[in-house]
Amino acid sequence: MRLKELHQAGAMKLLFPQGRPHPEAVMVNTAGGITGGDRFDIAAASLAGGKLTMTTQAAERAYRAQPGETGRMETCLELASGAQLNWLPQETILFEGCRFARSLKVEMAADSRFLMVEPIVFGRMAMGEELQDAAFSDRVEIRRDGHLIYYDGVDLAGDIAATLDRPAVAAGARAMAALVLAAPDAEAWIKPLRDMLPATGGVSLVADGLLVLRLLATDSFEMRQSLVPILDRLTKHGLPRCWRL
Amino acid sequence: MSIEPGAVLLMQWLSPAYPVGAFAYSHGLEAACAAGQVTDGRTLSDWLGDLLLYGAGRTDPILLACAYRAGDEATVAQVDARSRAFAPSRERLAETVNQGRAFCQTTAGVWGHDLPDLTYPVAVGRAARLHGLSLDLTLQMYVHAFVSNLVAAAQRLLPVGQLEGQRVLTDLAPLIREAAQNALDRDLTALAGASFASDIASMHHETQYSRIFRS
Repeated sequence: MRLKELHQAGAMKLLFPQGRPHPEAVMVNTAGGITGGDRFDIAAASLAGGKLTMTTQAAERAYRAQPGETGRMETCLELASGAQLNWLPQETILFEGCRFARSLKVEMAADSRFLMVEPIVFGRMAMGEELQDAAFSDRVEIRRDGHLIYYDGVDLAGDIAATLDRPAVAAGARAMAALVLAAPDAEAWIKPLRDMLPATGGVSLVADGLLVLRLLATDSFEMRQSLVPILDRLTKHGLPRCWRL
Repeated sequence: MSIEPGAVLLMQWLSPAYPVGAFAYSHGLEAACAAGQVTDGRTLSDWLGDLLLYGAGRTDPILLACAYRAGDEATVAQVDARSRAFAPSRERLAETVNQGRAFCQTTAGVWGHDLPDLTYPVAVGRAARLHGLSLDLTLQMYVHAFVSNLVAAAQRLLPVGQLEGQRVLTDLAPLIREAAQNALDRDLTALAGASFASDIASMHHETQYSRIFRS
């Protein structure tokens, strides 16, 4: 692995574990989480023919925000020709009272391979916390060769627990993950992934070279039980170690 | 007579007789019925209410309004690109692409517009603009047609009779008006929802063994 350029400032640091099959960058939020008014910007590029897996050292936490404040995280990723980039952060846990808005923008070359997962946990379930007054907003845009191929927008605000209880929303689930594989070989994965999913998950080859998976689960443990084997296969056993703890 | 100009035209475009093939699409409802998530009039009403608050019933009107307000073809094309990229599954993409294409072909054929292939809400928004129709009325009738089509689909899938189907539609009228009203002053940054279970149902429909709908 060759690291061409690295710039870090503020609470977000990067670690580069040695002895892994592919280069890995592990993001560490030294502040322990995100609160209202925080602003995190992340940018990474996988250069021509490069391979990179990015993850987080621990679950990200969106803490209760002060009135009128919103924590923000904006991520921009670039994949050059022939590059591979796995964006595999561990789950983000939304705390009661959080106000969190994030966006992910990806620019990829036509022949590059991008895999992403974004798991969300709604409330600290171990302590029985429910989100009755919180706000979460998420935007994902993936452009291939300059064309928008994938867009997702999630807005949840107010009594999020009550919203998640609704049948066409989450039917009572408290964890959700979106997974996208934008790659020339995406079609080959549809059947294996269908066989690995529980009834609360679905996968679709939306277009050529674009596979989208959505998963609902009771809690983060159940979500990981489904996600870890799937990510392990999609990364050809290159899932970062921190995912296994 | 106090019928708004254009109302008759909108009735024509959004009637089940306009050949867009809406009757062929259940928006994942067929899979939700097969899985026991929707079983009767009450659960149907809950499911459709969710779509109006968190699903395509909320986001399609935003796309329609953005296409209506777009001043030129290039901006319409941008709205359309976002509409395609936002489709949560293969069949939901086909649902909006195929109905939109049929709408554009018929509308161009009858009125001589130069309408490129657009997704369904974008096509209706653009055509309404070209005819100078009221955006407010177009939105209300579009959302009503969307829900009405799914009620009709449910009547083929469930023991929901004509009377109960119309009761469900009547109960949903306030949410239909709200979804239309909501879109009036929203731009593309507001294009977001949370109808995860409905999206997953549309994915499951791809492999459903026995099916009468294309989505």
